[in-house]
Amino acid sequence: MATKKWGTLVIAASLTLLMLAGCAQNNGNANGNTSGNTQEANNTPSATEAVEEMIDLVVWNTNLGFKPIEKGSQLYELYKDVLGVGVIHPYVEWNGGTAYLNQLNLKIAANEMPDLFKPQQGIEESLAKNGAIADLTDLLPEYAPNLWNLIPEEVWNIVKANDPTGKGRIYYVPGVLDYGRTAGLIRQDWLDELGLSMPTTQEEYVKVLEAFRDQDPNGNGQRDEIPTGGREEARWMDHLFAMYGIAMHEGNPDWDMYDGELTYSAVTPYMKAALAFNARLYKEGLLDPETLLNNKAQWDGKIDANRVGSYFHWAESVGGHLETIQANAGVKGDFAVLPVPKVEGYEGFYTAKRFQGPVWVVKNNKDEKKLMATLKLLNNLYDTNNWEKLFYGVEGMHHVMNNGKPSTLPEDKSTMENKVFAPHNDFDTVEFKKNLFNSIDYGDRKWAIDLNLRNMDENVKYIKTIAGDGLPASIYEGFADINNRTLYVEYATKIILGQFSIDKFDEFVEKWYASGGEEVTKRAREWYAKTNG
Amino acid sequence: MVFESRGEKVFRFAILIVLGLLSVIALLPLLSVISVSFSSGWVVDLNQVTIWPKAFTFDSWQYMIDRPDLWRSFFLTLITTLIGTLLALLVTAMLAYPLAKKEFMIGGILMVGVVITMVFKAPIVPYFLTVRSIGLYDNPLVLIVPHILNPFNLIIMRTFFKQFPKELEEAAFMEGSGYFRLLFSFVLPLSKAVLATLALFYGVVLWNQFQHPLFFITDTDWYPLQIKIRQFITDPNEMPFLASRQEVNYNERTLRSATVVFAIIPVILVYPFLQKYFVKGAMIGSVKG
Repeated sequence: MATKKWGTLVIAASLTLLMLAGCAQNNGNANGNTSGNTQEANNTPSATEAVEEMIDLVVWNTNLGFKPIEKGSQLYELYKDVLGVGVIHPYVEWNGGTAYLNQLNLKIAANEMPDLFKPQQGIEESLAKNGAIADLTDLLPEYAPNLWNLIPEEVWNIVKANDPTGKGRIYYVPGVLDYGRTAGLIRQDWLDELGLSMPTTQEEYVKVLEAFRDQDPNGNGQRDEIPTGGREEARWMDHLFAMYGIAMHEGNPDWDMYDGELTYSAVTPYMKAALAFNARLYKEGLLDPETLLNNKAQWDGKIDANRVGSYFHWAESVGGHLETIQANAGVKGDFAVLPVPKVEGYEGFYTAKRFQGPVWVVKNNKDEKKLMATLKLLNNLYDTNNWEKLFYGVEGMHHVMNNGKPSTLPEDKSTMENKVFAPHNDFDTVEFKKNLFNSIDYGDRKWAIDLNLRNMDENVKYIKTIAGDGLPASIYEGFADINNRTLYVEYATKIILGQFSIDKFDEFVEKWYASGGEEVTKRAREWYAKTNG
Repeated sequence: MVFESRGEKVFRFAILIVLGLLSVIALLPLLSVISVSFSSGWVVDLNQVTIWPKAFTFDSWQYMIDRPDLWRSFFLTLITTLIGTLLALLVTAMLAYPLAKKEFMIGGILMVGVVITMVFKAPIVPYFLTVRSIGLYDNPLVLIVPHILNPFNLIIMRTFFKQFPKELEEAAFMEGSGYFRLLFSFVLPLSKAVLATLALFYGVVLWNQFQHPLFFITDTDWYPLQIKIRQFITDPNEMPFLASRQEVNYNERTLRSATVVFAIIPVILVYPFLQKYFVKGAMIGSVKG
C-alpha cells in the first residue's frame, strides 16, 4: 500500500514540477521581453543623451489582415520620421469590430490599455466615466494645436454635448467628413446605348430601370442585367429611399427634422411611401432578386460583372469598379451620379453626416512622457502636410515611384504593414481627396480616375446634412434592439419582399414606439435642444 | 447473411437513397468551394462558377502556397497538434488511472474538482488574467498547455480503466511490477481503442483552436493555421482603395476558397482512418458513468 501511495505522490509531484518548469520558462520569456523594453526606454537617454528620446506607443486600430507594425520595421521607421513617435501596432483580429472589442476589453482588464486606440461600440463612454481615458479638453489646444484647429468648433461642441460624464468635456477625437461621399450611381453609358436621357423624376427612373431590364444594355445577348439593388438588411440601397426625403446612412435609417421635430426617419410616413416603392420595384423585377441576401463581395461581384445598372456607394470610387468591368467585359463603362429623382410631394436628398463618431481615444497615462508623446503624435497626425506621406506609406511596400509620381501598389496582405493612420479619412475633405487623385501617377488609368473626380463635384448638388448629425449612440442605452434596427430590418425586408402588405408598416411604427422608441425619441430631442439651443 | 424479405430490401434501398442524397447535399458546398479556388477571378466575379471550375487556373493556389507565413502557421499547427496530443494523452492517462482505483484515497475529492471545471466554465476575463499570470501570454506554449487535460476526456478514460479486467493487473502485480510499470507496460498497450479516440478528440481541438490564440497570442509569427486563415479572409473594406489594378487571375473570393480548402486537406486525409474510432469513442465510457 505504501509503495502505491508513494507512486501516486511521485506522479503528482512530477506533474507539478513539469507545469512549474513550463511556467517558469514562460515567465522568463515574458519578463525578458518587458524588462528589455523598459531598459531600453530608460537607458537610451542616459547612454546617448544627445539623441532625442524616442518613445514607443502602442496603437490599436482596424486591421483587415495586414501585417502588424513592429519596432524597427519599415513602417515604424516611416512613422518615426513623420510623426516623431515610435508606433507599435500589434495585429488584432477585427471581425466586424467584435473580436477587436473583446480583445480590447481583455487588455483593459489586464491593465494594459493601448496608449492610443479606436474605441468600438461606445466603449469610450464607460472608460470616460471611470477616468481611464484622458480628458482632452485642455490638453489638445495646448499640445496638439493642429488637431484642435483643424476640427471645426461646432464639431467640438457636439463632442462636448455628447460627454457621457455630462460635464461638457472632450474625451475623444471625432471623425469629420466634410462633404457628401455617397450617392446613387447609374450607368451613363447604358443610358447612351439605349438612347435615354438621365432620369430626373421617379417615373423616368423606373422607365430607365425597365429599359435596363428588357433591352440588354450590356449587349451580351442575355437578359442578365440587374437594374438596381443593394445588400442584406436592406442596406446600401439608400438611393431608393432618398427620393422620399429619408435620412439614411448606408442603409441605416437616421434622424432628421420631420414635421418640425427630430424624428427617426424609419417611423415616418415618408418611410412608408419609400418601402411601398421598393416593394413595387421588387415585384416588377427591377430590384435584384437577391438584394436582401447580397453581402459586399457578392454585390460588388455583380457590379464588376457588368450586370448592374444603378447602385448606391461612394461616388468617388466608381473608377475601381469601372476598371474591373473593363478587365472582365472589355467595356469602358461610366457610372454617373444619379440626380435624386423627384417624387411629387417629397423633398429628396442624399444624406450627409459631418460627424463620424469617435476615431481616437487616449489612455489616461500616469506616465507623463507617454501622454505627451501621444499628444505629439496627434498633433503631427493632423498636420495636413504629413497626410500625403501617410497615405502613400513605405516606398517599395505600399507604393512605387513612376516618373517622380507615387503610384500605390495593389493590396497584398502578405507583404504590407497595416497603415494604421489615415487622417485623410478621419478628417475627409473634398480638396484633399482631389489632390490625392491628382497626385497619382495616372498611366492609362486617367479615364477612370477622372470619373471619380467628376462625380465628387456632381454629388455636392444633392447632399443635405441631416439634423441628427452627431447624435451619440448613448441615446439607445438600454434599447439595443432599436440601435441594431432589429424591428426595422424585419418589417422593411418583409414589406419589400411582399410577404407583408404595406399596411403592416403602421404596426411596425406602433411596436417601435412601444419597445423603447418613445424613450429614445425623447432623448434624441433633448440632445437636439441641447446642441441647437 | 441474414435473409431479407423484399420489403426489407426496399427499405434498405430507400435508406441508401436518402443517405446518398444527404451526402450529396453535404458535398456540394465543398465542391463549389474547391472549384472556385481553381477558377479565374473574373468568372467568379460573374458568379458563373457552380460545381465545376471555369477558366481553370492554379493561380490562387500558387499565390497562397508562395506565402511563407501560411506554411509557418501550418507547420506550427501540425507540431503543436502532434506534441499537444501526445502530452494530452500522457497527462490524461496518468490522472485517469489513479482516479480509476478505489484504493486511491483522495480520488473522490479530485474527481469533484474535475467535474467542477466541467460544469462551471471560467468567465473569460478571470480566465484570461489567470492564464496570463502564469506567463502564457504571447507564449507559443499557450497553444498546447491549456488543452492537455480535458475533464470530459478524462472521465471517458477513467471509465475505460475501471472496466479493465482486474485479473490482468493482479497477475502483473504478482510479477512484481509497480503502478508505473503496470500502466505503461500492461494497461496502455491494451487501451489502444480509447487512446485512439481521445487522440482524435484532442487532435481536432488542437488543430482547430481559434479562441485561445486569438486572446493570448499577439505576435502574428505564432499564429496557428485557423487564425492565419481568418486573417486572410477578412471582409473587404468599405473604403475604396486607390491602388492600381492588378493583372492577376485570382481575386479575394478565389483566394478565400483556396485557403479554406488548404486548411481542411489534412483533416480530410486523416479522417477516414480515424473515423471508426470516433464512433467507438462515443460508446466507450458510456456504459458506466
